[in-house]
Amino acid sequence: MINQDFIRQTTGFYRPPSRVQKIWRLIHTDPPLLVGIILLCCFGLFVLYSASDGDEGVVRRQAMIMLAGLVLMFAVSQFSPHFFRRWAPSLYAAGLALLGLVLFIGVEENGARSWLDLPGLPSFQPSETLKIVVPLLMAWYLASRPLPPRFKHLFWSAMMILIPAALIIIQNDTGTAIMVAMSGIFVVLLAGMRWRMVFAGFFVLLSISPLWYLFLAQAHQKNRILTFFDPYRDPTGAGYNIIQSQIAIGSGGVYGKGYGEGAQSHLDFIPESNTDFILAVLAEEFGLLGVLFLICLYLFVLIRGFYIAYCAKDMFSRLLAGSITLTFFFYVFVNMAMVSGLVPVIGLPLPLISRGGTAILTLFIGFGLLMSIHTHGRKRTN
Amino acid sequence: MVGKWQLKDHEVEQRLFNRRLATAAVLIFLLFFALILKLVNLQISQFEYFSARSDGNRLHSQYVPPARGLIFDRQGKLLADNQPIFNLTVVREQVVDLDKTLNLLSTLIPLSADDIEQFNTRLQRNRVPFSSVPLKYVLTDEEKSRISVNSHLLTGISIEPQFVRQYPLGSLTAHSVGYVSEINRDELDGLSEEEKENYGGTNHIGKTGIERTYEEILHGSVGYEIVEKNNRGQVMRYLDRTDPVAGKNITLHMDAQLQKAAEEALGEFRGAVVAIDPSTGGILAMISKPSFDPNLFVTGISSKDYSVLVTDEINTPLFDRSTNPYPPGSTIKPFLGMAGLHHEFVDYEFAIQDPGYFRLPGVSYRWGDYTLRTVIGGGHGHTDLQKAIFQSCDTFFYDLGNRMGIDIIHGFLAQFGFGDNFAVDISYARTGVLPSREWKMASRGEPWYPGDTINSSIGQGYMWATPLQLATAASIVANKGKVVQPRMLKAVEGEDYKPFIENPVPDVMVNDPDYWRYIEEAMTMVIHRPYSDEFRDYGTAFEAIAMADRDMSYRMAGKSGSAQVVGISQEILASTDIVVSDLNKDHGLFISFAPAQNARIAPQIAVAVFVENGEHGSSVAGPIAKAVTDKYLLEILQIDFASFEDVGELQQEITNPLVTQSND
Repeated sequence: MINQDFIRQTTGFYRPPSRVQKIWRLIHTDPPLLVGIILLCCFGLFVLYSASDGDEGVVRRQAMIMLAGLVLMFAVSQFSPHFFRRWAPSLYAAGLALLGLVLFIGVEENGARSWLDLPGLPSFQPSETLKIVVPLLMAWYLASRPLPPRFKHLFWSAMMILIPAALIIIQNDTGTAIMVAMSGIFVVLLAGMRWRMVFAGFFVLLSISPLWYLFLAQAHQKNRILTFFDPYRDPTGAGYNIIQSQIAIGSGGVYGKGYGEGAQSHLDFIPESNTDFILAVLAEEFGLLGVLFLICLYLFVLIRGFYIAYCAKDMFSRLLAGSITLTFFFYVFVNMAMVSGLVPVIGLPLPLISRGGTAILTLFIGFGLLMSIHTHGRKRTN
Repeated sequence: MVGKWQLKDHEVEQRLFNRRLATAAVLIFLLFFALILKLVNLQISQFEYFSARSDGNRLHSQYVPPARGLIFDRQGKLLADNQPIFNLTVVREQVVDLDKTLNLLSTLIPLSADDIEQFNTRLQRNRVPFSSVPLKYVLTDEEKSRISVNSHLLTGISIEPQFVRQYPLGSLTAHSVGYVSEINRDELDGLSEEEKENYGGTNHIGKTGIERTYEEILHGSVGYEIVEKNNRGQVMRYLDRTDPVAGKNITLHMDAQLQKAAEEALGEFRGAVVAIDPSTGGILAMISKPSFDPNLFVTGISSKDYSVLVTDEINTPLFDRSTNPYPPGSTIKPFLGMAGLHHEFVDYEFAIQDPGYFRLPGVSYRWGDYTLRTVIGGGHGHTDLQKAIFQSCDTFFYDLGNRMGIDIIHGFLAQFGFGDNFAVDISYARTGVLPSREWKMASRGEPWYPGDTINSSIGQGYMWATPLQLATAASIVANKGKVVQPRMLKAVEGEDYKPFIENPVPDVMVNDPDYWRYIEEAMTMVIHRPYSDEFRDYGTAFEAIAMADRDMSYRMAGKSGSAQVVGISQEILASTDIVVSDLNKDHGLFISFAPAQNARIAPQIAVAVFVENGEHGSSVAGPIAKAVTDKYLLEILQIDFASFEDVGELQQEITNPLVTQSND
């Protein structure tokens, strides 16, 4: 109490937390972020109900996963960021071990051999957990180094990112590998990696990409890239998804065709309408206004994430919060851009809207970390 | 806060992080902005285009076939009905592996090579994409259920109900009413664009008979339906519909009962019967025998069934004998007699002394009397025109024909429809041949010889006429020269049908109307002039008709005829299946109308009977005409002739010809 009085007298800005705020902080929950997440979840369930053609089972299952996610988020937020910082290397080692295990006893599903079916546990994808563990480790590693990071630190950072990414690529799950790598790279970028090095790295990637395309890329990856440039080279095969999804979006117009009235989705012209291409359903039924509404909801969550990163009291927390928020944005943007034909098709879901399992839980763990950072930091600074 | 941490400048690092965070925020806004621009492009700038694409995906216009008009007989009995059947259909675009699917199907239901061949022809036709093509018509309940159970293995295969023609009387109306069958490529190519559109939903088209003649009336106009289909081509919703206009129901002059009676009267003979109501020209019956089941053709006749029909060279069931020409034989005589009267080559008093043959002046060849071939020799003796008709005296007509010449014969007989098709709506009927100098020069490249006239005078030689033409000519005599062109269609949708006839055939005018009475009397004598002490003084058909039915309550005018068989192919002659002599027999013919010589009732029915290899016109074809006439007058019209008191008087007139005029 003495401290608070002191601050009020010296700055004139301090407002004592109300009783409600105290309760929120006590249970380590950030109300604005929670509201944003719940709004997104509700909107997501609403769209999914239409996208799944009124299949209540699908919606109920998604709702259950979201509830489980909220519980998980609540549980994660109870631990202070220091707990995660302490355990970061161990979690990383454990994550790599699980990835190694997948190489030997992994189970294949949808073409990717990335599932673990351990006795006594529900089957899960270890690669998903790396989306959290890699930024944790990078934040742990760089926070204790002088910033901007020096070249040798960058080199080790690159190693720490590439090892899990490579293991996931071996599992034939390029999409997740890219996400894991990006979540690590965001930490490095936020840590102040010099721009000239950023651009240098970018140009290196750019210049080796033709080699990748010629020698390493698999047929379906090449196909996706060719399809991106000309969907009509194979309108009933490779180009079908993107053509139909653009028709759905375009025919939605400004106001949309109305809830449950999307002809493209309800007549099964949009493939994957419950998962990766759910934005097409939304855009068809709610039009441009609906998509703008969704972008606003995302922006709300993103801004809160940025605010939490900005307010965080130590570099580990900042880097972690910033990376989690940017990874979330990356998800959102890549999915929207891919469905509307702005980037080639990459199999990524639209966060909190698409139907999904493990991926949703991973998102909630990220939100839990954000809440942990925001609600544990304050106490100590006072 | 120990160790390395002391080396870090937290203030500088936080500012660096915050700058990076700000850069990220700007990038995020820029990227979202780019995304929104893309969405604006799709949803606002290209909205129209994508809307159209979306509608194009889901909306499909499909044809709704009209119900074909029904065909009734004059009593309201159905001659052509529409019946629902279930067809197995294929949407080619939805079938991944056609051969595999067909193989699977053939394990479920009997699917012959013929079915598959016909299916492939249908696939070759112009058709709307995603339209269904029939694979097999008329599935049984069991077949339907077997397909349904396996439907998950049969994408693109479905069972569709369809209304198809059904002919309740089967072979009885096969030639006259005709049949519908699948449209073939040629017929489709023959249609105009507009008509093609109208046949968009129709698989069938009238091929023969009435079905073909009145195709336009019976077909109706196609309807349209806008449906919403899903990705798999299933119809999800019906959005808009223009109802088809059903084809009109039509009523024929035909009487199914009479048709049946005619068929039965023909018995085992091959031949044809045509019956016409002289007052309306309405065709009451028109049959050709042997016939076939027209229902076979509706859903695609199997090649096996078809080959049975076309390879039967003797019975030729597909051949319509009622509208194809044969030598008319002596049935032509009353018309020649009328020509002689009108052109004053004979009169009531004129008579010849018939030696039994005719010889052209200066030519030694004798034209014998066919009628006397099988009976005792000699001629008819003193023979006037009436006797020449009721005794069918060839010599009289050889002489008359020779004196008139072919030009007069041609000119006069043409008025009765010989060599022409008077029928209003039987365009497929053949015209036969009414020979003339021009005709012979054009078709044979030879001049006309006097001998040709002699042959023509007894309905042989170049003279060919169809049973329909004979019945028409008989009805003109029954009408005393008034021509009412024969017709099938009586009413459309219950309203009397008045056909537009561009060039109506003029009535037959003769110098003295009494000639009609005279000829009618002669024809009545053919049937009613009894045996007497006079040598050869009875009607040729007396024994077979009037004597066989002594209670005959009405009078019938008629003329028998027999015609030589012109040619039998060597192949048939070599065949062991049939007694060749049967095929050598003459064709028997008979024309009649009744009631004749009735002051109260005008003739109600004119009949022509043709019996292939029937040998005798009077004894074989005559009773058939009598049976048909009886059926119509006594059973269908139920005329009670006994109630007319003047019947007795009329019987007197047979022996003492008097002028009688009927009051029609």
